Amino acid sequence: MTPVAVMVGANRIVSAAGIIHPLGNSDLSPDDEKALRRRIVEQALQALRTEVVRPTVFTRE
Amino acid sequence: MMATETLRVVCYLNQFFGQLGGEEKAGVGPQVVAGAVGAGRAVQQVLGDAGTVVATVICGDNYAAEQAERAVAEMVALVAPARPDLMVAGPAFLAGRYGVVCGALCAAVQTELKIPAVTGMQAENPGVELYRRRVYIVQTGAEAARMLDEVKRLVALGLKLARREAIGTPAAEGYFARGVTHNVVANASAADRAVAMLLDKLAGRAFASEVPRPAFPPVPAPRLIKTLEGATIALVTDGGLVPRGNPDGIEALNATRYGAYSIEGKTSLDAAQYDNPHRGYDTTWVKQDPHRLVPVDVARELEQSGAIGKLHETVYSTVGVATTLAQSARMGREIAEKLRAAGVDAVILTST
Amino acid sequence: MRLELRWSDVDELVAGSATRLAGKRLEIDLDALRALLSADARLTGIRLDLVHPGERCRIGRVFDVVAPRARLDGGEDFPGVLGAVAKAGHGRTLALAGVSVVATDQQTDNVGTLAVIDMAGPNAALSAFGRTHNLVISAWPAPGTGRSDYLAAVRLAALKTAVCLARTAREAEPDRVEVFELPPSPRVPAELAHLPRVAYVFQIHSHQRPTGLDEGILYGDPVRRMLPTIVHPNEVLDGAVLRGFMGRSVTTWATQNHPMIRALYEQHGRTLWFAGVVVTVAQATEPERVRSAFLAAGLVAHTLGADGAVFTKIGGGAPHVDMAQAAAQCEALGVKTTAVVEDMSTDGSAEGMLLFDFPGVDALVNVGSSQEPLTLPAMDRVVGADDLASKLLGEARATYGTLCGAIEQVGTTRVMAEVR
Repeated sequence: MTPVAVMVGANRIVSAAGIIHPLGNSDLSPDDEKALRRRIVEQALQALRTEVVRPTVFTRE
Repeated sequence: MMATETLRVVCYLNQFFGQLGGEEKAGVGPQVVAGAVGAGRAVQQVLGDAGTVVATVICGDNYAAEQAERAVAEMVALVAPARPDLMVAGPAFLAGRYGVVCGALCAAVQTELKIPAVTGMQAENPGVELYRRRVYIVQTGAEAARMLDEVKRLVALGLKLARREAIGTPAAEGYFARGVTHNVVANASAADRAVAMLLDKLAGRAFASEVPRPAFPPVPAPRLIKTLEGATIALVTDGGLVPRGNPDGIEALNATRYGAYSIEGKTSLDAAQYDNPHRGYDTTWVKQDPHRLVPVDVARELEQSGAIGKLHETVYSTVGVATTLAQSARMGREIAEKLRAAGVDAVILTST
Repeated sequence: MRLELRWSDVDELVAGSATRLAGKRLEIDLDALRALLSADARLTGIRLDLVHPGERCRIGRVFDVVAPRARLDGGEDFPGVLGAVAKAGHGRTLALAGVSVVATDQQTDNVGTLAVIDMAGPNAALSAFGRTHNLVISAWPAPGTGRSDYLAAVRLAALKTAVCLARTAREAEPDRVEVFELPPSPRVPAELAHLPRVAYVFQIHSHQRPTGLDEGILYGDPVRRMLPTIVHPNEVLDGAVLRGFMGRSVTTWATQNHPMIRALYEQHGRTLWFAGVVVTVAQATEPERVRSAFLAAGLVAHTLGADGAVFTKIGGGAPHVDMAQAAAQCEALGVKTTAVVEDMSTDGSAEGMLLFDFPGVDALVNVGSSQEPLTLPAMDRVVGADDLASKLLGEARATYGTLCGAIEQVGTTRVMAEVR
């Protein structure tokens, strides 16, 4: 739902891993799931450090 | 297009209104069935002899929301062979994922297939603000209780669009203002209207401003002044994490309350101690493992490794489904004030 | 202060051997008038055309329109610009209805800034000038006449003409007499003290383009960096405020027939007490804008003691914001406001209509979008723009802003941008 976040004016938006498990994925092993979570959280931290002037979506490559 | 010809209509419904199932079916991909099913039968009933629902496209809300562009493309490909004169999506009422995909699909069908489309949803549905400029969205109530009534205006506007008849004002036809302006000649001079409007405002009477205020004023983006290594980070969510028993009574829908939950000393969240009343998505997976919503485990590790200065000891949580703008803004403000008072520098907010 | 406007209606405009008003027929000695206007060394080649409602005629290169007015009891006409500097707004003034003086600009190459008037077809009804008999003045700059001098001279010619025409009604019995009487603001009779006090904040110029020294706007003053001040509404109705020289602007005619002042007078003593008029200019820099905003708000709230205020602007985007800032300052002092804006959107989207979002500035009236396209139908005759005649005769795409008098920011017109 990133378009909604952009619309309401959230400035730093990180795309997560799905509605029912934004910071996880039950198809993965617990270790892999935690690694995915860590990657997303680190990306969030990176976004916090990044100067933005308008709603910006940070996507994972 | 003669008014007497029977129009071919395609409906779009989500998994629930298309009678495939509830949240557990929210991940199903796009499919098409012949004729009208589920809520589409109301559309057929209102159409009467004016039109026939020749096909219904159904898709799970999560599939559509998560795949977005791909899902819409797949659905457009299902609509095209039915050669409809009109597409009717929803109504989506207050269901946010459903409303957003209704808007997206209508927009795509109009642009790519040049077929008129119409949908309906309640005012607070995020689909309204996202798509009202491109798509005619009829205003509906919050729930399906008055399905036949809600569908009447939807179909009436759809028929006008399909027949290329002149569309009246938003108030007359019941659709959300599309945000397009057009010069007309008013019944009084601007000066006379201004004096009348001021007198109404002074008397406390309702007045209709002739220019809409911006719906979402821009929010200045704060800068993180400290380094991450020196910063205190808080975790917040609108995904509905609550302690077992929901002690603060956070509502499952239209929430007006939020909770403050301590994670002091915790390196992880024990699933047995938490619950989730959120009705906007299937909470099975986040109940199984709350870290899939609030990443306390990873955040604590980052704190311990020094990547962040401190993990704030309180998690703030509410249920973000059908929350009104006013309540969302109020809760956000209050949480922000508390965080600021506690010396928090930045927030990671997980939203579903 | 008490002003009497003595109206004579004109329904015919013809050339004649003398300039006089015979019943409702206005006859003009064009040779004599041409001679009068030619006395200004800055102008050459004066040409006068008479144009009538219903004629398939388009007037081009329109710069300004002036309403015929002349003081009856002595006193100065258009003081500070035509007449000597003297107070306006009292006594008796002659006015002609049904006829206007149109000043064209024959100097500029930037014809995009100039307007047209259609005397027939669908556009005629959009503007007051499509329905008045128009005396069109075309004058060329004498060699060596700079831009500012030329426009000052053209404007002066229009003002002289306006006075000349109105003076023909000297001996006539007026068809209508309007009385505009407003005592000093604090002197409210006890039985009317319950009425809400309403002020009008009138932005009379925008410093998007600085004024020239001879570009008199308020009693002939070029209002450079003018700080907000108070004038009596009658002064505006009686020639104290004129159009400056910037591109598209409120016509002098609209100011002389000021719709907001007339509307407030209409309601004065009935639904409101007209507390007075604050005049401002839209400033060029942010500090000046901020200063002007709170000074204007102070005049409205603390000097005029107003409960409410209506606002209009002149010019483009910066004046739009300037006006909103003044309104916001009034709201902050507890004065309720209504502002008349122009739809600023360039693409017809409602989001683009407003360039501000200030607390309390939520009662907005709009005068339409100047950017919205419209069609100029083909005409049989073009006046005032010989060099553009071939283009102006045929059908063309233009915008609402091209039509002089279709969108007047002071609120004369009924064109409105409706949000759909």
